[in-house]
Amino acid sequence: MKGKYHIIVQNKRLRYEFDIRRNLTIIRGDSATGKTTLINMLDSAFSLGEGSGIEVVCEKVCRTLRGKDWNFLLPQIHDQIIFLDEESSFVKSKEFAALARKSDNYYVIITREDLPNLPYSVDEIYGIHTSGKYHDLRRTYNEMYRIYQASEFSADRKPERIVVEDSNAGFEFFKKTGEEAGIACESANGKSNLRNVIAKAAVKNLLAIADGAAIGSEMNELYQYMMLHPEVRCYLPESFEWIILKSGLIDGRIVQQILENPEAYIESREYFSWERYFSFLLTEQSKDTYLQYSKNKLNENYLHDKEKRAILKVMNGIKFL
Amino acid sequence: MLKIIFGDIKNSVYHPPTYFDNQYEDEWITDPMSVQMIKEIDKSEVVSARLIDSPVLGPISVKEISGGVKTLILMAFDDSGRIFNASACGDNCAGWIAEIGKRKDLTINLHHVMDFSRVKNFEALMLNTGKLVHSYAEYLEETLCIKER
Repeated sequence: MKGKYHIIVQNKRLRYEFDIRRNLTIIRGDSATGKTTLINMLDSAFSLGEGSGIEVVCEKVCRTLRGKDWNFLLPQIHDQIIFLDEESSFVKSKEFAALARKSDNYYVIITREDLPNLPYSVDEIYGIHTSGKYHDLRRTYNEMYRIYQASEFSADRKPERIVVEDSNAGFEFFKKTGEEAGIACESANGKSNLRNVIAKAAVKNLLAIADGAAIGSEMNELYQYMMLHPEVRCYLPESFEWIILKSGLIDGRIVQQILENPEAYIESREYFSWERYFSFLLTEQSKDTYLQYSKNKLNENYLHDKEKRAILKVMNGIKFL
Repeated sequence: MLKIIFGDIKNSVYHPPTYFDNQYEDEWITDPMSVQMIKEIDKSEVVSARLIDSPVLGPISVKEISGGVKTLILMAFDDSGRIFNASACGDNCAGWIAEIGKRKDLTINLHHVMDFSRVKNFEALMLNTGKLVHSYAEYLEETLCIKER
């Protein structure tokens, strides 16, 4: 599945209205915000249809998935938006991740658990809040809000040290760029090590750079750490390849069109996370040019002054030079 | 004393709201502590042991209170010896978890790092490592040493 879907779920007393734009969306947050009620309404509407008294408006079928036989049912479900409640402990299993990866559905998962097997984006972690009562005073309106706002943990200052989640081309770029600017740079060798490497660094001004497209499972702990240690800040672009594509170094109007509206182009069955798609797109679009990209080893041409400045310019609020 | 254990453990109830629906006692609901928790977290009033007045849903049954409050009530009153998964509670329940832990020996199970930053004088025994933490900062530091979630 690809695309953005507007969803309205309502009865006489409650209305939920939100957009889903990626294959993996997480809903968490405080208790008593209406998460379980949303699931129960979707469950009744899917089981009983209009007779439930619940209206679900969406271009795609919205349904729930519960119970012990989930793994038999899931492979039979296609092109639907599946809502999973926190009682479904199977969402943290490798089996669920493997089945979800192969499927063409979107998943909306209610959980506070980190789910390291699923590559979800920092931008697709939401809470629910009540936006009030409008035309109909008897009905409460609920919307989703992004839990992590980049402005909360970015910093407009030159870091003393950089920790990069990546160990490939992205790390090479930041390491060499950092060396020139007198900034030490190390790789965390993967997102799950990021918090430990940051904690061990013990410097006054540290910047962590990670792929926002798949860092979701680390965000709860990373965010709490940053709130307690303001000397640590984060920059979370979709991925290093996204930064290069965004810089305009790669010719082609199609690239900018895709970046404006990635959900319209990224088929979830082919790309479990957007980061993989951007890697494919950059490799494809830079093929046979002087900027031919390889994830495993950085093409030195990206370190030339003009190219480097174009890439760094994309990184709003991050000072390197 | 509040005791915290991370990861999958025996004798833990993974989804406390379901357990609550099938095991709660009427007198738990009208206890002043439950009345206060329902008021503070769900913004709802306990009318009687079987009726709650919610500003959003109107008159509701006890089974319709939030999963977070159901879990807190179990932590406070259930004496079956079971350990409840506090990851069913939002961070707005953290203060009450700490409070219940001051009133009795309470062991909770976590599958994520709960944010106790708003709890004053936070103290807990981390059962995975055996360390007693005396602040939220110490708790967060200690979770680095614990792989289980």
